[in-house]
Amino acid sequence: MKDIFTGKLVRLSAFDAEEMSKAFPRWFQNSEYVRLLNSSARPMQSSKAALKWMEKEAEEMSLENYYFSIRTLAEDKLIGEIGLEVVNWPGRDAFVGLGIGETDYWSKGYGTDVMNVLLRFAFTEVNLRRVTLTVFEYNPRAIRSYEKAGFRHEGRLRRLLNREGGRWDELFMGILRYEWRELNVPIVAEAAVGA
Amino acid sequence: MKDLFRGELVRFTFEEPEARAKAEARWQRDTEFIRLADSEPSRLTSEKKIKEWFDQQADGGPKSERVSFSIHTLEEDKYVGFLGLWIDLIHSEAWVGLGIGEREFWSKGYGSDMMKLCQGYVFAELGLQRLSLGLFEYNPRALKSYEKCGFRLEGRTRKEVLREGKRYDSLWMGILRGEWLQMQNGVQK
Repeated sequence: MKDIFTGKLVRLSAFDAEEMSKAFPRWFQNSEYVRLLNSSARPMQSSKAALKWMEKEAEEMSLENYYFSIRTLAEDKLIGEIGLEVVNWPGRDAFVGLGIGETDYWSKGYGTDVMNVLLRFAFTEVNLRRVTLTVFEYNPRAIRSYEKAGFRHEGRLRRLLNREGGRWDELFMGILRYEWRELNVPIVAEAAVGA
Repeated sequence: MKDLFRGELVRFTFEEPEARAKAEARWQRDTEFIRLADSEPSRLTSEKKIKEWFDQQADGGPKSERVSFSIHTLEEDKYVGFLGLWIDLIHSEAWVGLGIGEREFWSKGYGSDMMKLCQGYVFAELGLQRLSLGLFEYNPRALKSYEKCGFRLEGRTRKEVLREGKRYDSLWMGILRGEWLQMQNGVQK
């Protein structure tokens, strides 16, 4: 069977709390990154506080939570994090959250590649029926990337966010399993042969 | 909407650990009941110890992969048994185990009624794709009840259980979502 954790530019790797607790405080000093990632006015936190959260939440994976770090294939460099959280088992729906903390790797297809890998994991390994995400109106780069991965616009919370005196919408996007299968016919066929 | 937890003879409830321990402490003294329910040797455990065990379960809070119900009769509101589900979330299937500790309620359709409620919960509420169970060859009453509920015999582990010098098979049964849906359509017509 194919290595489902590897894409074309990046791979999903194990979430190592010690390594991530050092990367996070550095990434979070970039206020642009924080604003693209979170709607809360999140203060910076020490690596010690980050480590505590990570050891509790991220390293102790449950069937509901899948956290990964993102590494480039070319240099094996840690560039970001991605998490999948199952919110509804009967509906088989999960939320995905993704951040590329290393800004040198923005706008070069890394985010789209990692999302493709995560969707394959969500639909073929966790056997989900849909994957949901939210993104902010002022993040057109992310919206474009999610559209490329096959997400469709499903709704918006109007004027939810307050940034620099303006108000912005939060957008909901989603992708269903059959939509993903139609977009990824070769992958699905290969998986069927492997099975 | 239909009450998922009410059948024709029984309803699903959740008893507090105290009440469950009290009932189990009494039921465990019926060795025939224990042998029908489990292959482990019959043993007697103090009510206090049993309660500790149920407390532990309850303290963990609700879990997506483990559901347990207590069973009450509709007629006298008597607490007569239990039913539990072990759910495999990834593969969307579950195992069911049930028992009626009050033996005067055996052979009267209570078990089948419990199982039908359970199937509705598994397929219509949890949206699972199959339901599995196991039983022993020396329990023909259970076999008949499960067949009535649409389970098919899928396999057997030959001579697995030793009882009083004689060996018996374990039987494995299952029902698929599609088969259950078909039965529901039949009932509605």
